[in-house]
Amino acid sequence: MMASFSEAGRVGNEMSVAVTRTEAEEQLVRQFAKVAPELPGGARVAELRSKAIAGFALTGLPHRRIEDWKYTDLRTGIKAAYPPAVCSQAKVDEALIRAALGTALAGVPCIALVMLNGRYVAKMPPRGQEAGTGWEFRSLAAAMGEPDRSWFWQNFERDVGGSESAVQALNTAFLTDGIVLKVREGARLELPIHVISITDAKSPVALATRTIIRIEPGAHATVIESHVGISHASTARQATAVTEISLGEAAEARHIQYLSGGADVVHLGRWHVSLGKDAVYRGFQLTAGVGLARNETHIQFTGPDAKLDLSGLMLGRGKDHIDTTLVVNHTTTGCEGRELFKAVLDDRARAVFQGKVIVAPEAQKTDGKQMAQALMLSEDAEFDSKPELEIYADDVACGHGSTAAELDEDMLFYLRSRGIPLADARAMLIESFATEALEKIEDETLREAARAIAVAWLGGATAR
Amino acid sequence: MLEIRDLTVRIADEDKEILKGITLTVPKGEVHAIMGPNGSGKSTLAYAIAGRDGYEVTGGDIRWDGQSLLEMEPDERAAAGVFLGFQYPLEIPGVATMTFLRSALNALKKKRGQVELTTPEFLKLIRAKAAELGIKDDMLKRPLNVGFSGGEKKRMEVLQMSMLDPHLCVLDETDSGLDIDAIRIVAEGTNRMRGPDRSMLVITHYQRLLDYIVPDKVHVLSGGRIVKTGGKELALELEKSGYAEFAGKAA
Repeated sequence: MMASFSEAGRVGNEMSVAVTRTEAEEQLVRQFAKVAPELPGGARVAELRSKAIAGFALTGLPHRRIEDWKYTDLRTGIKAAYPPAVCSQAKVDEALIRAALGTALAGVPCIALVMLNGRYVAKMPPRGQEAGTGWEFRSLAAAMGEPDRSWFWQNFERDVGGSESAVQALNTAFLTDGIVLKVREGARLELPIHVISITDAKSPVALATRTIIRIEPGAHATVIESHVGISHASTARQATAVTEISLGEAAEARHIQYLSGGADVVHLGRWHVSLGKDAVYRGFQLTAGVGLARNETHIQFTGPDAKLDLSGLMLGRGKDHIDTTLVVNHTTTGCEGRELFKAVLDDRARAVFQGKVIVAPEAQKTDGKQMAQALMLSEDAEFDSKPELEIYADDVACGHGSTAAELDEDMLFYLRSRGIPLADARAMLIESFATEALEKIEDETLREAARAIAVAWLGGATAR
Repeated sequence: MLEIRDLTVRIADEDKEILKGITLTVPKGEVHAIMGPNGSGKSTLAYAIAGRDGYEVTGGDIRWDGQSLLEMEPDERAAAGVFLGFQYPLEIPGVATMTFLRSALNALKKKRGQVELTTPEFLKLIRAKAAELGIKDDMLKRPLNVGFSGGEKKRMEVLQMSMLDPHLCVLDETDSGLDIDAIRIVAEGTNRMRGPDRSMLVITHYQRLLDYIVPDKVHVLSGGRIVKTGGKELALELEKSGYAEFAGKAA
């Protein structure tokens, strides 16, 4: 493997730049050679893994000279690669889930599919009712051993990563497990499916997991994905997490991600969402206090008249760095896209928003609106916003906006003149800023859980 | 009793003083009107009383109930009984009116050493006060002032005033942007609050508000000074002759 670790891919049009591998890049390639024989899947998967790590070996970690990673340099952000996590002996019960999620989110009725240190361990019995019978799931490790599951393989093999995406490549190479979920045609799930990925290792570890979701035509489902740690374990983890979600004709999905863990967490996420004709997809990403997070979402409209609403709330303090990168690809007519991302930034925290909307010549009647807003609580906080519209069709309505502002002094005075102390008035206005994003979560129980997490974080008690 | 003595105020970052020595006393039980042309310092006086940042008191004092307000934060002044009705009430998206009022009321009760209201007590109180002002339930559930008309915002100011039970009410151009019906509702709400324990300072550019809130005294503010003080008939004189005669005096 070391032999293929050449400089060729990196150099490209920067021939003059001499590139040396970082310690972390070398560690990753060495680690793969060591753990590959123990990773799940047959020869077919092993081949994909080899292809992926070879691609990674060519390019290494993305850095600031690569346009898409201009503001998030992984070569400096990841100094050393942590060893892959091993299976945990911990017993999964409600107490563990509560410790990992906090009481607000743990209290949301759901069917929980629990992953511990990168391995699927348990389906938790629903509290109250069943989600219904119109769905099935496998662990990803099990699905890798079932060659006849064609839709799974289509999704799984669609994007290995290679040199185009280091995150996808590392995920493919090191993948230990995940969830494969199918919601059958016309089924309406009454409860959310909650994929909870918990890390409880005693020392820093690396994780690579994937969720593959297929919502068949006319089906409705809510999927929550949480990536969390627990307080009595090591708080350091490096994770790649890929989610592939495809919606069939007139399918509807609500998809919520909760990401937390603190300053020592590196989370590199990639979502691929494809929407069929008349499909409705509502995604929400809540990132509360993560040292280095990259949430990269690729949206593909595969049929006309679909609706997308993708929103999120980034909460950062200390030296947190939270990057939201979107690529919304309109390739068919009459689709609607709404994106609203908000960031609350204190201390030296930094948020990045890159939102690229591409409207192909044939994607007439596209209706797209994008907004990114940051509330700066400190002079040292930073917000980098790069909206990009590439419109090749002539009959479209597309717009974007971006703002960064401090707390409004007039509003603060108004609240204080009514007797509300300064700290409470500030908290009220920060919550007011976040609310517009949180209101994108339609389900009230989930919205209030997300609000509770945000309020707790704002109050200084960063929920893990 | 509100006692303002030799008050000079300047706006931070600006060199010139806006208020150039105001002396004014409003005994309990009285309503005084401050009238004056645009730019005379009326709003500056209101903000100085409420303690807005950036309105720097360079001399004199503002005392309420014998205690100087100058060293107090805006929320402490509110707890001491000061209420400012804003000329332009702010819209606070994402904060439900009901939640805001409850937080404010309980914060004040706590600071005043009173018992906080239970939810049923609070609901009963707010429904009764809102009904008096013709404020519907759904308005209370909406975010504070967001999308409210000018009249609705002013009614909301009066609702806040009656809920928070202040003893010094400063109303800054409460009539601006209101039609006669709205003025009447707002004035009735204000008049209900008149009482032997309260002092009120009603700031207005026009006389017509004073048809509804009849003041005990009228002070004319021009160029940062009080240039004339009289009874309620002074407002009527001003309506006829305008502020031109005072422009010279202030210079």
